[in-house]
Amino acid sequence: MEVKILSAKFDIKNSNKLKTAKKHGAYQTLEKLFSMEPAEVIEEVKNSGLRGRGGAGFPAGVKWSFLPKDTGKPVYLAVNSDESEPATFKDRYILVKDPHMMIEGIIICSYAIGSHDTYIYVRGEYTTQVKVLQAAIDEAYKAGYLGEKVAGHDFRLDVTVHRGAGAYVCGEETALLESIEGRKGQPRSKPPFPAVSGLYGCPTIINNVQSIASLPFIMQEGADAYKAYGTEKSPGTHLFGISGHVEKPGLYELPLGLPILEVIDKVAGGVWKGRKLKAVIPGGSSTPVLLPEEAATTTLDYESMAEHKTMFGSGGIVVLDETVNIVELVQNLINFYHHESCGQCTPCREGLGWMKKITQKILKGEGSMADIDLLRELCDNIEMKTVCVLSAACTMPVRSYLDKFRHEFEAYVTANEPLVAEATEE
Amino acid sequence: MADKIKLFVNGEEVEVEAGKNLIDAVGAVGIEIPHLCYHPALGADGNCRMCLVGIEDGRPPLVPACKTRAQEGMKVLLDAKHIKKIQRDVMELELINHPIDCPVCDQAGECKLQDYYMSYDQAESRMTVAPVKKNKKMDFGGGVVHDQERCIICGRCVRFLRQITKTGELGIINRTDVARVNIFPGRPINNRYGINVVDLCPVGAMTSSDFRFKQRVWFLKKALSVCHGCSKGCNLTIDHNKEKNKDDIIYRFRPRLNEQVNGYFICDEGRLSYKLENEDRLTTPKIGTVERDLTDVLASCKNEIEMSTNVTILLSPNASLEQMVAVKALAGKLNASISGFSDGYIITGDGDDYLIQDDKAANRKGLELLGIDTSQQGFEQAIAEADLLINFGNNLGLSYGADALKTLLTDTKTIACATHDSEYLAGAKLTIAVRSYSEYDGCVVNCDNILQKFNKAVTKNNELPTICEIAAEFGGPLTSPAEIFAELQQAAPALKPYQPATIPAEGLNLNDSEAANVTA
Amino acid sequence: MSDRSQLISTGEPFQFDKKRDAEFERLAKRYPTRESMILPALWLTQEQEGWVSQEAIAYIADRIGTFASKVYEAATFYTMYNLHPMGKYHICVCRTLSCWLRGKQEIVDYLRDEVGITPGNQTEDGRFSLEEVECLGHCGTAPVVQINGEFYENMDVEKLKSLLATLK
Repeated sequence: MEVKILSAKFDIKNSNKLKTAKKHGAYQTLEKLFSMEPAEVIEEVKNSGLRGRGGAGFPAGVKWSFLPKDTGKPVYLAVNSDESEPATFKDRYILVKDPHMMIEGIIICSYAIGSHDTYIYVRGEYTTQVKVLQAAIDEAYKAGYLGEKVAGHDFRLDVTVHRGAGAYVCGEETALLESIEGRKGQPRSKPPFPAVSGLYGCPTIINNVQSIASLPFIMQEGADAYKAYGTEKSPGTHLFGISGHVEKPGLYELPLGLPILEVIDKVAGGVWKGRKLKAVIPGGSSTPVLLPEEAATTTLDYESMAEHKTMFGSGGIVVLDETVNIVELVQNLINFYHHESCGQCTPCREGLGWMKKITQKILKGEGSMADIDLLRELCDNIEMKTVCVLSAACTMPVRSYLDKFRHEFEAYVTANEPLVAEATEE
Repeated sequence: MADKIKLFVNGEEVEVEAGKNLIDAVGAVGIEIPHLCYHPALGADGNCRMCLVGIEDGRPPLVPACKTRAQEGMKVLLDAKHIKKIQRDVMELELINHPIDCPVCDQAGECKLQDYYMSYDQAESRMTVAPVKKNKKMDFGGGVVHDQERCIICGRCVRFLRQITKTGELGIINRTDVARVNIFPGRPINNRYGINVVDLCPVGAMTSSDFRFKQRVWFLKKALSVCHGCSKGCNLTIDHNKEKNKDDIIYRFRPRLNEQVNGYFICDEGRLSYKLENEDRLTTPKIGTVERDLTDVLASCKNEIEMSTNVTILLSPNASLEQMVAVKALAGKLNASISGFSDGYIITGDGDDYLIQDDKAANRKGLELLGIDTSQQGFEQAIAEADLLINFGNNLGLSYGADALKTLLTDTKTIACATHDSEYLAGAKLTIAVRSYSEYDGCVVNCDNILQKFNKAVTKNNELPTICEIAAEFGGPLTSPAEIFAELQQAAPALKPYQPATIPAEGLNLNDSEAANVTA
Repeated sequence: MSDRSQLISTGEPFQFDKKRDAEFERLAKRYPTRESMILPALWLTQEQEGWVSQEAIAYIADRIGTFASKVYEAATFYTMYNLHPMGKYHICVCRTLSCWLRGKQEIVDYLRDEVGITPGNQTEDGRFSLEEVECLGHCGTAPVVQINGEFYENMDVEKLKSLLATLK
């Protein structure tokens, strides 16, 4: 089931080094690139149907075409490597295993959109990874792939790594821009969208690492070759991270459209320890959970996920075995999103903390049915009332657990004593 | 006039000014969209989420009204069930970690959170878990005391200090529900406009150390006034109160919106200058240093005037236009020289490029308008020839040192009308205590040539005479407010269409009217 | 998150050493505004000192030419900036979803029971400090522990035991 497009060089030793990467095809698309008009490049990417791999799934080429023409301002490219959604760990492999593929992608994108300055926003936790990336960038500068004349062509391109410092919300593209500008990562209201007014008030494109890294293949082999993978509406491949209760957790490149349960069984070795499947989180912790019977008809593409009232997200699949205590899991999730709320909008800032405390109360055996109802109601009251979707990233999955596993919450309320003592308090 | 557009609010057509956001556009025609973080002087931030409204034009189901520009034909949903619910939900979330200590909170009575709770929520609390603990009674410097628990993180204070004063003392520290406003240690609020954050704060998180716990705001009577602290003439609301068995006292000045003068703000010195109206006031007339009845002192004054051969009259640059007109008429009657010399009121270099002016007088332009000489040379020449100086409230102590003043007035007796006791009064033969500007109506012309009206706020138990009344007593020909105003209209033709009560609240720009006169 | 507003004053003025000074100036050329240097400058400080003091924040603000309140905001918003000195070995245990599912709690319990250290604290000899952190992006090799920036994947109590023994 696995394919090797993005991950083609992942198993090669020293693939992060320019010499090795070049031996395996790095930077070979540049001659073709500079022989094309930027508009042709955008058209090719549009035709490939590449959808943003950060989570939202917005078509990359279409996004680029939103840039206003001739504003007299510089155009910026920001590469989103904040990858902080729990269960997501794909971009990290690209940074470490094939950084030159990403740099090549940056050159392609920059040329297409007419940008000469790229900022790669890498989450602060990626301490060792950022060193590998920086070394690759330094090598690319030395070899003339970056700098005043990219590959000898009359095209300047500077790439700067900007390190985050521990804030999930900076994966939201406007929070990311705020962070580059030196401020707290608090998302901006849209409109204006970054394509019109982004970094330093200039037109800006923000793409995920994996989206950018997909470009060399599209340039090399053409849009049709890319579309040969995946489904009609969700073309291409994706680096799926499979974690949780499986025998072989890890990162697997797969075409889109495969049945999720088949992937869990055949690629990730099935539920661990011979246990039964309790539920599947399909695309990162913010996506609504699927029961086994729902997962049975779900395939790994944007459309099937939407039909099952969940999301493709970042492609981070988490498998939950029969032993998982859903109330504790919900607490773990709420703790995370509460911890990461930027504190800007009232509903998210105040509401997630309240949800966290109500869940603690239930876990301590002090809750009531009214608390469960309140928790459920708060999901509705908070969701989509805020500048960004961080609060929704919490309320959407929590709602799904409350609806699909309500009996587990009720068990805490009806029991005369706490079922589990572990209510973690910060 | 700004362009008008028509839009629909809850299905009803309203005509509003174009180019504004929804809050301001429909607010101007009396439709309130609740909001906490938005302030017209600070722009839209969009963090409180109180102003979410529906727009029926295919946009996202909800938009923040503060960030949405009013547009022709727009259909705004404000009273729909789901919008009402959002307002209630946001209120609930604002309140869960709020101490709800209204009984001991200075803001009670003028708190947006309290008002909105009454208008949009009125629900029982469902908060059964421990609220977030934060710090209380933090001294932020500059006369500002902060309560982090009352704070709703709207960021108005932070934005004010970054955008308006550009001093940036405050920040919102942390994230999540432990976010809080704070100063950086050792760098307290230190600018001349800091206390405005108290007015800007929609709740009781920012309190003025000067006003804290002094009065419940609903006991305060309000009067519209103009600051006399400098020549800018910032618009004020005077909050005063006469408690049982006590005198009428001013408790605070608050800035009042005037787009063409001070916008929404005032400086701290002006704000705290209310104290001068309460304190160190001259309350009894004197002959020499002996306190006497007003009747006796007036009789002595008239006697002095009759006996004198050459009188010089000195006006204060803080006097109202009405007082200047009345005194000028008196000077004519007495054949006296008249001066407005007051260089000592000017502190060169003290002003800034915002509100504060070098000239600490409220009505120097009024002297100019009435053609009253303000030169030192003119004044000193007049004094050299005069045997009597009638000083209507001009603090000569600002322009002269004590010795120089004594030398200057060696051969000149002084009748002084004054609001405050002061060293320069020491040599006065006769002293009359008069009302200060919070105690009478009048007009002043500010540094930008804008004529503004201010109203009487305070009525003291022992009500003093005004300068206009004294001028009449001394034989001035203008004896009634109507006569004075008619005379004033001659000097300032821009006033001709108006009566004192009908002068526009935003003031009259005399430059405009002069220009109009020229073209006419 | 817990309150991070309490800053620690060393009582000593702070400045970048030669190396960081040069790095600061090099990086500053990469951004069109000085304020973009707030995060990089905080990182340089932490690299140099291991943590960020009140004096360092004031220094950064003055060096960049911005308000101390803005640097203070950033230093407290981003949780990776240490606002107090850490142990010689700063252990971060991921507590989020996949690591939680695969036994991060056993690691935290071991550190509490056998090493004598709880989240937010450090050992008396200052050798270890511990923090439970949110998702570190190593979910496929969970549970993960990060010590002084190095990742240790597929962690369990036995592996941790032998790892800690090598950290003197």
